[in-house]
Amino acid sequence: MWKRLLLIRGAELLMFAVLAAVPLGVHNPYVLGLLTLLAIYGILLIGLDVTVGYLGQVNLAQAAFLGLGAYTAGLCVTRLGWGMPLATLAAIAVGTLLGGLLALPALRLEGPQFALATLSFTALTVTALNELEWLTGGAQGLSLARPPLLGHALTAREFYWLCMALLALVWVAMRNLLASQWGRAFEALRDSPIATDAMGVGTYRHKVAGFALGSALGGLAGALYAFNFQYLQPQTFVYELTVILLLGVVLGGRKSLWGAFVGASLVALLPNLLSNRTLFEIISGLGLLLALFAGIRGLVRRTIPPFQALAPILGTSVLVAGGLLVTNTEDWRKAIFSLMLFSVVVGLPEGLMGFASKFLSRLFRIPDAPLPAPSPLEEVLPAIQAKSGSPLLELRDLKRYFGGVKAIDGVSMTVLAGQIHGLIGPNGSGKSTLVNVVSGLYTPTEGEMSLRGQPLPVGSLFNTARAGMARTFQNLQLFTGLSALENIMVALSDVYRRSRSLPLVLLGLGRVEEKRARADALALLDFVGLGQEARTPAKDLTYGAQRFLEIARAVARRPDILILDEPAAGLSHPDMLRQMEIIRRVHQRGVTIVLIEHHMDVVSGLCDVVTVLDGGKLIAEGTPVEVKRHPKVIEAYLGEAEAGPALDRATAAPAPG
Amino acid sequence: MLVVSDLHAGYGLSEVLVGTSLEVKAGTVVALIGANGAGKTTTMRAISGLIRPSKGRVLLDGKPVQNLPASRIARLGLAHSPEGRKVFGPLSVEDNLLLGGYRHLPQFFGFRGQAARDLDRVYGLFPRLRERQRQAAGTLSGGEQQMLAIGRAIMARPKVMLLDEPSMGLAPVIVQEVFRTIQRLKQDGMTMLLVEQFAKTALTVSDYAYVMERGRIAIEGPPAELHKNERVLAAYLG
Repeated sequence: MWKRLLLIRGAELLMFAVLAAVPLGVHNPYVLGLLTLLAIYGILLIGLDVTVGYLGQVNLAQAAFLGLGAYTAGLCVTRLGWGMPLATLAAIAVGTLLGGLLALPALRLEGPQFALATLSFTALTVTALNELEWLTGGAQGLSLARPPLLGHALTAREFYWLCMALLALVWVAMRNLLASQWGRAFEALRDSPIATDAMGVGTYRHKVAGFALGSALGGLAGALYAFNFQYLQPQTFVYELTVILLLGVVLGGRKSLWGAFVGASLVALLPNLLSNRTLFEIISGLGLLLALFAGIRGLVRRTIPPFQALAPILGTSVLVAGGLLVTNTEDWRKAIFSLMLFSVVVGLPEGLMGFASKFLSRLFRIPDAPLPAPSPLEEVLPAIQAKSGSPLLELRDLKRYFGGVKAIDGVSMTVLAGQIHGLIGPNGSGKSTLVNVVSGLYTPTEGEMSLRGQPLPVGSLFNTARAGMARTFQNLQLFTGLSALENIMVALSDVYRRSRSLPLVLLGLGRVEEKRARADALALLDFVGLGQEARTPAKDLTYGAQRFLEIARAVARRPDILILDEPAAGLSHPDMLRQMEIIRRVHQRGVTIVLIEHHMDVVSGLCDVVTVLDGGKLIAEGTPVEVKRHPKVIEAYLGEAEAGPALDRATAAPAPG
Repeated sequence: MLVVSDLHAGYGLSEVLVGTSLEVKAGTVVALIGANGAGKTTTMRAISGLIRPSKGRVLLDGKPVQNLPASRIARLGLAHSPEGRKVFGPLSVEDNLLLGGYRHLPQFFGFRGQAARDLDRVYGLFPRLRERQRQAAGTLSGGEQQMLAIGRAIMARPKVMLLDEPSMGLAPVIVQEVFRTIQRLKQDGMTMLLVEQFAKTALTVSDYAYVMERGRIAIEGPPAELHKNERVLAAYLG
């Protein structure tokens, strides 16, 4: 265990120790200036990586937040005469607040629209800084003197240490965040926003909080930027910087603190890279060598397609050749950025650190953290004594129309506590729509729904999940990138109070709960027989295991009512029997279940009551035996016994083995 | 018509198929059954070129196709109706079907006679699709989408048709209809490879069957013979 810690933390400690020691040996003010800039950009890029890496959205506003932070700190110092700590806090507050305000509408958008929204924010910010001359000094710029820290005027060296210390703090706080429920939620909402909401985690609020956090770091970096340069100009914070920052994150490697750091070194070095011919040639030469090495190796081993190998070689060759031909590299800087960005995006989609960590993980085999002993099942999933027979879920005259299509047209049904209630019907009869309305994915056109006598929230998966309902999905909505264990841990979020507060998590106070969550999740994996697969990424599980995991994840919510949408679809016979056994055991813990299924032997084997829908209307209700004899059900759903060979299979009683 | 020998394929580093061999003779229906994760869908994906096999051969009508991209294999006469249907949601039913006949595109220019005949054939098999020809495919019910996926494959007038889980998530009454269609296609002389969880039903329409276990063929034979096999009976025919 400690060996693992040593390997991971050791590298970080070593890096910060070396960086802190540099000014003791090197007295060149130019080098010190570069290193200070590295620390500032490090904070800025870690903030940018939250949206670009973890939320998976192209964010073009980080340069604007740097500018806003810088101007806020600058104005606090010049106009209000505030000291360094207060001015810095003000910059962070402005970043958080404006970040949150921008995120509220912008994160309702996806992909290119979100990118454009952030781009227009940058344009707006730069224009405002330019035009509000009475406040900012406009294009003339704003000069300030670095204020003393607690009465002590900082030397350049001391200011550098301050920046490094803040970077280290941000680093540790981010690591705490990523190792918590929040980090998992970020992964989960990229894989399946729908399931994240359905697990009561709240996709939208996590995205907004993540974006605001990234902007807060932008504000912090801005304040340090102002104290470092002591002169601000709106033109510094335009698109070009945005693109360079994006290049930094992508080149360094997304979703990685180290990646952000490597990216920051690049951003800090870039101006020098362009003015210093030798350095430019060395770096572009190294890039070409790397592209050649990775490309040829990939081609020989056939791990990458030829395009991915050849394009970066071509890109970096042009860079090297251009360096020899062009006299003034400064004039060509945009072309240089584009070539670098192109080569990296194609050649190293995971960035330098993604590439390096693959090698390092082969050199140093870091053992996985040992798993705790599973919690007792009674603690994780206490058997509830359901008041058998009392109405739990009631639907009254529920309707949902899509345009002219009446998907559900006046369905009333009651699910009694402690029962397994089947829902069957031909394809297109409205079963899925009904489940989607009840679970909050769709808003009903008309009608009433209540759970335990209380009206059920309408049109929000998240609120419905909070009200005590859990569901699975017909076409599996697992968090494919997370392990089986982590999939369940995401759904445990309600149980762990402290891990839900962002400040507490940043301070590292979520750790204790984290350990407990692992033990609990393990117990649930054992419950469905997947204890051995705890570390397997969900996407690598067999199809059957994925179906079992989805149930375990839904059960982790400790729901009053669990909706299973075709849990046996596509399962082979042995897996289907196993799935039935799992459903039975969940039911024995006192969970009321609504089961949508086409396999009639599953329905007959499990359900107390079956409701049959056709054409959006209820056509029959009763015990499985009653329903199967119902003439309307035979006509609309089961088909005639003589009609085809499928029937003997579909209605046969579950066979052993 | 379709010969697969010693096929190896997988995703990333994990190899799912470890030497699968099978044969589908012209005009026959062959069933491929087995547990979840045995490699049935992967076999289909490797045959149709959606993933590239790392080793082994696939002969389509005597021509090796294992290194060709999926689009080329499709043009050579292999149609794949994938698991989960994968219809083009925003397009109309008829456009979906016409895309299925894409490999005959040159004949379609200015002269829709052949396309119209193919459409008629599909609409004859699935009258429901004719009723919905202008509707967006994504708004169809699961059963109708499955019919559309099969119809789209028929439009290619393929030499071999791969059908992956045509009964998945369908009501029993629709499952029966799908299998009746398979029976009719077989009578018309269509060559088919069929992957199906309803193993028992699949065997009733097949001439020959393979049972897959852990990436290779474990048992094979005509349906009557498999019905006598204790192990197959217990594990797959329930």
